[in-house]
Amino acid sequence: MTQHRALLVWAIVLAVSAGFFLLCLAMGEQWINPLHASGQDAMILWELRLPRLLTAFAVGGLLALAGAWFQVLLGNPLAEPYVLGVAGSASAGAVAALMWLPDTTWVMSAGAFVGAWLGIVCVMFFARSGPDKMLLAGVVLAAFWSAMLGLLLALLPEQTLFRAFSWMMGDVSGSDIPVPLLLAIWGGALLCGCLLSRSLDILLLGERHAEALGIDVQRLRQQLLFLASTVTALAVTAAGTIGFVGLVVPHFMRLLLGSLHHRVLPAAAMGGGILLMLADTIARTMIAPAELPVGILTAIIGVPVFLFLLLRRRS
Amino acid sequence: MMLLMKLRHVSVQRGRKTLFSGVNFTVTAGHITVILGGNGAGKSSLLLAMAGLIPAIGDIELMGRPLRHYSPRERTRLIAWQGELPPTAFGLTVEQRLHLVSNCPQTIHHVACEMAISHLLLHALDQLSSGELQRVELAALMLRDAPVWLLDEPTSHLDFKHQIRLIHTLKHYATRGKAIVVILHDLQQARALADFLILIDRQGETRYGACEELFNRQMLCQTFDAPLVEQAVALLPDYGICPKTGET
Repeated sequence: MTQHRALLVWAIVLAVSAGFFLLCLAMGEQWINPLHASGQDAMILWELRLPRLLTAFAVGGLLALAGAWFQVLLGNPLAEPYVLGVAGSASAGAVAALMWLPDTTWVMSAGAFVGAWLGIVCVMFFARSGPDKMLLAGVVLAAFWSAMLGLLLALLPEQTLFRAFSWMMGDVSGSDIPVPLLLAIWGGALLCGCLLSRSLDILLLGERHAEALGIDVQRLRQQLLFLASTVTALAVTAAGTIGFVGLVVPHFMRLLLGSLHHRVLPAAAMGGGILLMLADTIARTMIAPAELPVGILTAIIGVPVFLFLLLRRRS
Repeated sequence: MMLLMKLRHVSVQRGRKTLFSGVNFTVTAGHITVILGGNGAGKSSLLLAMAGLIPAIGDIELMGRPLRHYSPRERTRLIAWQGELPPTAFGLTVEQRLHLVSNCPQTIHHVACEMAISHLLLHALDQLSSGELQRVELAALMLRDAPVWLLDEPTSHLDFKHQIRLIHTLKHYATRGKAIVVILHDLQQARALADFLILIDRQGETRYGACEELFNRQMLCQTFDAPLVEQAVALLPDYGICPKTGET
């Protein structure tokens, strides 16, 4: 791929992001022009829609980055952030917190964060045994967390059941992590990713070849697992489980930009952000004043796109 | 004759099994050492141990310093290892793969011509045939500026034309001062290339010596635990050397 084409793609990505950002800001139960808003409109725009939009952007970007990292870590371009069961353990943690802790605004987020880390620690035991065993361990652990979640939901009092379900479907409006912090995490994660990008490229050749080129593979794998898991845990804590963004976006960016990570990672961080921003805007306007859980929408968009990509890959 | 590597009493284990023990040999600049042995004898493991990629018992010295005292980066500058690339599904292109080893477009172009892969530079690695992929990996090795080259069955998957070209290329690089250690299965190729031989037999016994000394029927029959005939077969690729009667 030429430098010229990369620049062109970047210009398009930035222009599209800016356009979509303004569009998403304007859309809602009522249309507000972001360039000429005053009074109550300005309040709705800057205090309700903007933080929500930025949360969606950061969470989407984080999920796409984590997806790209997990794909390299597991040597499988079809892996996603939740593949090792982190979503399941986070959900189980959130529901457990809802059940046993006093009901405050941040209780589910705190439970999710602890749950996500519990899941990560379980998987980390398998980090040294290579991608295949780690993937297998992750899949089995995911099944275990899903069973635990089922058990907890069965025991949950009826009045809190709805809250648990809406959290599990993904919701960017109820984030307890402040928006500037989330954006800073997004930037930090992207920076870490870019610093590691050459090592990630070399890791695509397989562990032995990477080692023969001077990469400390064990250390790189641990760094990558830690980074990807932390980012997933934060994304889950902020917005619950939102599927497909982490799977589809990095894959799509690889098709568009090739497989070198200094191109794929920034594009995924932006693309994931835009996708979730759009999905959330559609989710809150489609049946306004009611809202659809955004996780359902990403699945509706993500599944056909993914299946299309899969067909294309095979041909 | 510059001494680059020295192995003393080296043994390698796979699980609980000792593959071979007490290997002693030296690797010198400008010479080609060929490793011969049956399947599972430990040829690849010996090469990996020399590259510092698997642990070994005994002393492996690289330029007078124990190999384990080198950092992975330092080691990479001195030793280039080539082995079969595992399948990768990320769409990495040949050009991108070569750029992971060298940043110099001219050198990449030159080596790509040498390995006849110039027309494949924009192809994804997972779209190549095994032979093409092997040539890409050999090109990646040749891009390395390391004084020691370790090659694990470099002629496998290659057609006759490219086998012959590779034999000549390796000879050429050896005359320019590279120390080359190579695993082969073909005795003709081994005879054409080797200055020194390492024979590993089924019992894990190893022999090291000059090619003229070890390349005889008795030694090779013992190494491979198989009968060998002395008659030359009519049609054989010409690796640029005429086998002398009584040596095969």
